[in-house]
Amino acid sequence: MFTGFVRTIILYIVIIVGIRLMGKRQVGELEPSELVLSLVIADLAAVPMQDFGIPLLAGVVPILTLLALTMILSVLTMKHVGFRALLCGRPSIIIRRGKLDQGEMRRNRLTVDELMEELRCQGYPDPSGVWYAILETNGQLSVLPKAQEKPPTLSQLDRQVPEPGFPLVLISDGHVLEHNLTARGVDRRWLEGELKRQGCSAPEAVFLMTLDETGGVYLSPRQEG
Amino acid sequence: MKRLWMAVLLLGVLVALCLTNAWYSLTLTRQFSQQLSQAQQLVEQDRWAPARTLTQEVYDSWNGRHFYLHVFLRHSDTDQILRTFRQVLQYLQLEELDQYVAANADLIAQLELLSEMEQPSLVNIL
Repeated sequence: MFTGFVRTIILYIVIIVGIRLMGKRQVGELEPSELVLSLVIADLAAVPMQDFGIPLLAGVVPILTLLALTMILSVLTMKHVGFRALLCGRPSIIIRRGKLDQGEMRRNRLTVDELMEELRCQGYPDPSGVWYAILETNGQLSVLPKAQEKPPTLSQLDRQVPEPGFPLVLISDGHVLEHNLTARGVDRRWLEGELKRQGCSAPEAVFLMTLDETGGVYLSPRQEG
Repeated sequence: MKRLWMAVLLLGVLVALCLTNAWYSLTLTRQFSQQLSQAQQLVEQDRWAPARTLTQEVYDSWNGRHFYLHVFLRHSDTDQILRTFRQVLQYLQLEELDQYVAANADLIAQLELLSEMEQPSLVNIL
């Protein structure tokens, strides 16, 4: 059991270091410690689940060890900037002021094809329209377009538009959600009146009905069959 | 910070559990091995009946720790020891000296290996 405990700690650290060395592109959306936990924990649970000759503790002890280590690492990454940089790395600027940083691409093992793919996914098929592109520590590429390439905002156009209200579901698949009615400050009488106005006989005939803060109603009747 | 201390506490509990298990398994198997060696000495003095009683006591004591053995140790190892115990008892019943000595030595070795596997040593970890 002690052997399993120490081996779990050693292998956890080895895999985290391995994933850090593999670079940001391999991490996906998780931090290295979280990725390792999700990779290893399922296998640890599966072994005693299938092999009845192994005591349950042989699976439980390494899993609890991993959870405790992950918790310690997450607290340390929150508290110490240096430790966070060591464990998760730092963002890399791939395009700086419109210019590709090839050294940074090499350091992150990012190929031109991968960069172009990421830029296309972000809606920038032409890299000349990008002012900054930053490879985040979770492997995602953040893109800041050049000022001329940005769509104008309403404030830039000096237009006033009312804020949209957040819609709450009042009827879900024929069921009235009373707590949302209360949250929007309406009651059953208002609901019945609104349903009648929209041509529905009862809440059971409604698939989805929402009400936003500005009083906007969306209603989708239930389809037969 | 509370989460950090909880995690450290959990790790501490796990270490304590592992070390207690290592100590207990060593104490237990060492005691059994000594008793089995005593039984063999009795047999070498041609005192089969007391040797049988002593070995039976060790066997009963082993069986009495069924819960601990199954919760903390690999079942294949404990099952093998149980089978060897039965062999040793049978050879004692039949008063087969050669067979008994060989089976008893095997049993003592299995008990030693069982606790050796649980010890916090570099060899085990690597």
